[in-house]
Amino acid sequence: MEITRHDIVIVGGGGAGLRAAIEAAENNPTASIALVSKVYPMRSHTVSAEGGAAAVAREDDNLELHGFDTVKGSDFLGDQDAIQYFVQEAPKELALLENWGCPFSRNEDGSVATRAFGGMTTKRTWYATDKIGFHMLHALFQQSMRYKNIVRYDEFFVSKLLVDGGVCRGVAALDIRTGEYEAIVGRAVILTTGGGGKIFPFTTNGTIKTGDGMALAYRAGVPLKDMEFVQYHPTGLPGTGILITEATRGEGGYLRNSKGERFLVDYDYGVGNKAELGPRDMISRAIVQEIEAGRGLSGPYGDYVHLDLTHLGADTINAKLPFVRELAKTYVGVDPVTDPIPIRPVVHYMMGGVDTDIHGATEMPGLYAAGETACVSINGANRLGSNSLTECLVFGAAAARHAMEFSQGSSNGSDAALLAQVEEEAGRVENLRGRKKGGEKISEIRRELNAVMESGYGVYRQQDTMQSGVGAVAQLRGRVADLRLEDDSKVFNTELITALELANMVEVAEALAVSAAHRKESRGAHTCRDFTTRDDENYLYHTMAYHDPAGPRLGKKDVVLGKWEPEERKY
Amino acid sequence: MSSTNTGEAIAPTQKTIIITRFDPDKDEVPRKQEYSVPCEDNWKVLDAVNFIKDELDATVSHRWSCRMAVCGSCGMMVNGEPKLTCKTSLKEYGDRVDIEPLANFPIVRDLVVELDGFMHKFEAVKPWIKRAKEKAEDKAALHDTKLTFSQSAEELGNFKQFSMCINCMLCYSACPVVANEPDFLGPAAIALGHRYNMDSRDEGNAERNEIFRGEGTVFSCSFANECSEVCPKNVDPAAAVNQAKFEAVIDWAKGLVLPSPSSGGSN
Amino acid sequence: MAGPAHPHSMAPPKPGRTRAAPPQMPASWWNTSRMRTYLLFDATGIIYLLVGFVAIRMIRALAEGAGAWQAAMQSLENPIYIGFHLLSLISVIFVAVRFFRLFPKAQPPSIGPLKPPPGPVIHAALYAVWIGVTVVMSLALAGVIF
Repeated sequence: MEITRHDIVIVGGGGAGLRAAIEAAENNPTASIALVSKVYPMRSHTVSAEGGAAAVAREDDNLELHGFDTVKGSDFLGDQDAIQYFVQEAPKELALLENWGCPFSRNEDGSVATRAFGGMTTKRTWYATDKIGFHMLHALFQQSMRYKNIVRYDEFFVSKLLVDGGVCRGVAALDIRTGEYEAIVGRAVILTTGGGGKIFPFTTNGTIKTGDGMALAYRAGVPLKDMEFVQYHPTGLPGTGILITEATRGEGGYLRNSKGERFLVDYDYGVGNKAELGPRDMISRAIVQEIEAGRGLSGPYGDYVHLDLTHLGADTINAKLPFVRELAKTYVGVDPVTDPIPIRPVVHYMMGGVDTDIHGATEMPGLYAAGETACVSINGANRLGSNSLTECLVFGAAAARHAMEFSQGSSNGSDAALLAQVEEEAGRVENLRGRKKGGEKISEIRRELNAVMESGYGVYRQQDTMQSGVGAVAQLRGRVADLRLEDDSKVFNTELITALELANMVEVAEALAVSAAHRKESRGAHTCRDFTTRDDENYLYHTMAYHDPAGPRLGKKDVVLGKWEPEERKY
Repeated sequence: MSSTNTGEAIAPTQKTIIITRFDPDKDEVPRKQEYSVPCEDNWKVLDAVNFIKDELDATVSHRWSCRMAVCGSCGMMVNGEPKLTCKTSLKEYGDRVDIEPLANFPIVRDLVVELDGFMHKFEAVKPWIKRAKEKAEDKAALHDTKLTFSQSAEELGNFKQFSMCINCMLCYSACPVVANEPDFLGPAAIALGHRYNMDSRDEGNAERNEIFRGEGTVFSCSFANECSEVCPKNVDPAAAVNQAKFEAVIDWAKGLVLPSPSSGGSN
Repeated sequence: MAGPAHPHSMAPPKPGRTRAAPPQMPASWWNTSRMRTYLLFDATGIIYLLVGFVAIRMIRALAEGAGAWQAAMQSLENPIYIGFHLLSLISVIFVAVRFFRLFPKAQPPSIGPLKPPPGPVIHAALYAVWIGVTVVMSLALAGVIF
């Protein structure tokens, strides 16, 4: 068994992980930083973000406005101290990203261009046509290569946090190439593994997004916060769930029902020409209502409405939304220059995640989290589009600074104790590999989990299906322990990795289900048919889910209010 | 409008999918295995591989993630052509579809190839903005977006296309020079270096041009243009490589007549 | 079955952590349409090699005196030689057209203050020069000029 020592171990190589690695490497050039990822960093799902990243840039904008938009978008569940820190750091972080080579689109005078986005009062979304995530990820990854003190572990799957004396001291990682375990030990660990959208069947998320970091922390005793809040992006392609960016509406696109009407005008989420620029939770609900009222269109992959860009013209589409055009042509056979794109709401983002403070620190000393994995929370009950990439940068950097500070004051754990934990984990996973005596195959359980999540935790929810979902997921957790695996090879055994991911998915799904069933109100993305209004008196708090062998235990955490008192959320 | 989203669902077509199998612990050399797959009309090639993995044979190993042609994981040879399998329609092919790991790469397992050599080349071109002094270096002074560089549409246009590479490595599978000269830096890595050379914010040209004048780099390219033919993102790496030849020569010629400029220190 | 390409293609600087199979070329790699064009392009190299031998032979004949030169010139009238030279002409046209097609994209967007003209202008210029040089040489060889 190999043991390697570092100052900081970062798990996950997407936007938040790479930003954290760069910050740590710059902050302390003599420190060794491990960047452990189950995929090569440029494959991370940050790559698929399209629309842009938010930060105040224009003369007519200010931090106060960005802050309030975010608080209001969160349906007042976001922590206002975190949001203020976020909006203040955002412009610096995006300027750094520009300095590192991200090819932002430009105004005529050469300054960085900004575009309109849902729920944002003015244009503050920095963009690179419609591939900001791709450009951001590649700029960060390429930038990270100049630091010789960043040691990459590409295609290593972390399946356990090493905890000794209540302090997180590293990870047990499976080298996917060799099938052998390694102890990657550090004085602090940062989780940046993204969300777990793959627990749902219809999602914009790539197949790698299985909630690994959330499950790692959760199993180690760290609570997951606000897991009931799942963002449905209004515009995904039917069938595949491929994301069609909100920038399509930011640039002036319309949503139309089967009668060809711009139905959002009637829902009053925006004013006049800004009808399409409401926040995502509201627009997704409007689409579902339109479909339920019989004004949707139907196809083999469910009912949908139209996203109409035809009036924008080929020049605007080619200049600002070329990737959308490519995606629509390739995956639904529609050219948006001439025809409307079929779209329906699709699971996109988890507002909830590992509970952290404003510095990215969790309850466990030595353990930090940032990005979608974490819940600081700036997103509350509903995230505004284009805040998440900036969040990866701001809190990735913050977590790295504080983890570095912590690591310099922390001692190493005992090698023997840590190695024993890795040996135990290796033994457990060894028993799983090629476990032919098991009962069910991965794809069966995953399909069932997907079905439960879709029926219980959609755009609209209700108590009975949420309650039955809780039971169903708990039962699936039991069945995951009896998987049947066919592949007994050590080298690049993707079936084994998928099995470990499935176990993570079920844990995350259970925390989500239990958290959702308990919140008897409608707030942000958590909209109940049987409790239709927001209930600040009883539910203005963060839901905390703690791992327990018998099923999640719930707790509460106060929302940090401040400058802005909760008020009715109208656009 | 296409049948893929609005029309009636079409009954699946049975196709024989042939997958290259290799497990270093069991196979001396790669072998082929056939699967009969009920393929739906709108499937991409990747969907068939995923179907095999989920329903027919869980031991098949392949890489994939975003399924929207941007993460670059799922490059494979499809009937002898390097393809991004999540972007390639299965119905373009006949009853028998031969799926192999990317050519010119060592095979780790089944459809999974080794990236170590590629990553090494990728880093060799120093793919980051090099400045004598970082603009935002003094973080205490960093207070607003004026610390961004100004870039005209033309300056952005000079490199934007070359920044679109998703590192799917299809170009390395198509390149006849890579097949013969394994140490050749190759299309994607050179395009990446050239991308930074062409970026108005970068000052690292001298250093990268020196790399490009070395053995096994731009002048190994015979302008076969195969890389650009197979690129799923229209990066046109052949243009980058051949522009880089020009730049490397001009830079060298300048060095003969002008006093050598400082190369801006290390890294 | 696929055949191995160069066994070390894309090999990592250090040997892998598990045994890897050498790169495989698809069994039909030479038969794809793109590859056929490229192989044809590569194969024209053989013709230039042969043209080189012919040129050496002609220079030798020239050195040996008028008689030898006349005999060599006579032998060029052989249908095999005529066929070979026709093939050479086709090869040259093929390679030139292929290169001219790709040439514009090899132009850097600017060299100092100089910017290359748009692609079609480069194309027109390349063909104009080519045809011009051919005409001048033909006239010179025919003894009309010089």
